[in-house]
Amino acid sequence: MINKSSYFSFIVLTISFLTSCIGDDFVFDEVEPMVVITSNLQTLALGTTFQIEAKYLDNVGAEQVLPKNWTSSASDIISVDQSGLITALNAGQSVITAELILDDMILEDQITVTVAEETTQSSNARTGVIESTSSYRLEGNFSLEKVGENLVLDIDETYQTTSALPGLYIYLTNNRNSNSGALEIGEVTVFSGAHSYTLPDDVGINDYQYLLYYCKPFSVKVGDGQFEN
Amino acid sequence: MKIQNILTVFIIMSILPMTVMAGGGWPQPKDKAYVKLSEWWTSSDQHYTDVGLIDPNVTLGIYTTSIYAEYGITNRLTGTIYFPFFSRALINNTVSSTTGEVLNAGDAINGLGDTDISLKYGITGSGSPIAISASVLFGIPLGNDLGGKDQNLQTGDGEFNQLIQLDAGSGFNLGSLSAYVNAHIAYNNRTSGFSDELRYGVEAGVATLDSKLWLIGRLNRVDSRKNGTLGNNSTGTSIFSNNAEFTSLGAEVSYKINDKLGFSAGITGAMNGRIILAAPSYTVGVFVNI
Repeated sequence: MINKSSYFSFIVLTISFLTSCIGDDFVFDEVEPMVVITSNLQTLALGTTFQIEAKYLDNVGAEQVLPKNWTSSASDIISVDQSGLITALNAGQSVITAELILDDMILEDQITVTVAEETTQSSNARTGVIESTSSYRLEGNFSLEKVGENLVLDIDETYQTTSALPGLYIYLTNNRNSNSGALEIGEVTVFSGAHSYTLPDDVGINDYQYLLYYCKPFSVKVGDGQFEN
Repeated sequence: MKIQNILTVFIIMSILPMTVMAGGGWPQPKDKAYVKLSEWWTSSDQHYTDVGLIDPNVTLGIYTTSIYAEYGITNRLTGTIYFPFFSRALINNTVSSTTGEVLNAGDAINGLGDTDISLKYGITGSGSPIAISASVLFGIPLGNDLGGKDQNLQTGDGEFNQLIQLDAGSGFNLGSLSAYVNAHIAYNNRTSGFSDELRYGVEAGVATLDSKLWLIGRLNRVDSRKNGTLGNNSTGTSIFSNNAEFTSLGAEVSYKINDKLGFSAGITGAMNGRIILAAPSYTVGVFVNI
């Protein structure tokens, strides 16, 4: 009996060792590549210069440093060199374009700059709507704007989500399918109503395209919201 | 309570039927013992959400090797222990399908699991057409409730629970076949802020091949009393299964090689649920009657 018992015990234990390895779960995380002008310039003082910043985000939303082609729609009003440095030459308005040609794709983004008495940044808030992409409740509106020296993410009073998820985190990201490379704002501790987050000093208002709600321990996307402006 | 508790629920779910199978309403005779070495496992990439729908998750797995033993202290009083002496919990890597890059590295922990010690008392004597017993179980939190680099892996729930259970079973003949049916109801008092649970279920078995082969079916239900103070999200990686509820259906085959030795294999799955993995669990084991 002992021999048979040992034999079956061996089988039982072998099953454990053969089946309990860490595997791979694949995430569909491909997004459309894009060029994004992150500078928030609105007006430029006559006779001054300003460095326009633009970034190329690849097919997983990660920034890749590649040279862009810079053009001005009215180079007699605002000139631009190939580093994105612009100079206000005369009164008027110009559309500055950052362009990147990749194989069969032409990616570009534009910003309209007016030559004025002083240099100003846009004070417009970026806004969006939070929507659930799972069966967990998640809804609300959000905005991102400068408040004094701080960049503040405001979630409005229509916001609601569930407290049933462990480790629900909020991110700013350029890939709504993954939290990889995203800016982790923090763990969600408010489940309804208005609240806000003050973002780190080095975050720009145009750095990210999406707000992402993600269950971190289980790598599960719960919902997101795209900036609409 | 952590995600592991989803799994722990399954473990408990599979333990209770094991108890029933070995005894149900029937205690062990004095100085007789039943010992079972088992491997139990589940792995799932989806779960029932808080509204009872199924959502995906990164694959989670737990593999538990355990010893379960019953011993007849008297003809009416049986002592039992469930000791998961090796429990492994893991979470898979998440990998970009675009770049092949590992986005979130998987993790695994190994260790002891939570251990149950219980006493069962036979209320009715031998020869009674219906065997009724009462049990009290103590869940000893020997497992790890905050394991792994993100503390999202567990081999135990970290709470000391006490469960009282009433079993009623009856054996009968189904034509030329031996059969039995057993029902149980239990109240699981949980500590550390977890909600208590009401558990109930039925089990039926029929024997063939000269009573060497038993075919067993189980239907169990767990209802949360939702009276815990933790809520569902007290820590970053926990409480996934506090207030978990489910209905499970299980099947098991048990083959006795001789009067002393046998082996078994079973599968159990949640038919519906809330805050619990949506995948079957499996078990294989070898048992001896001493």
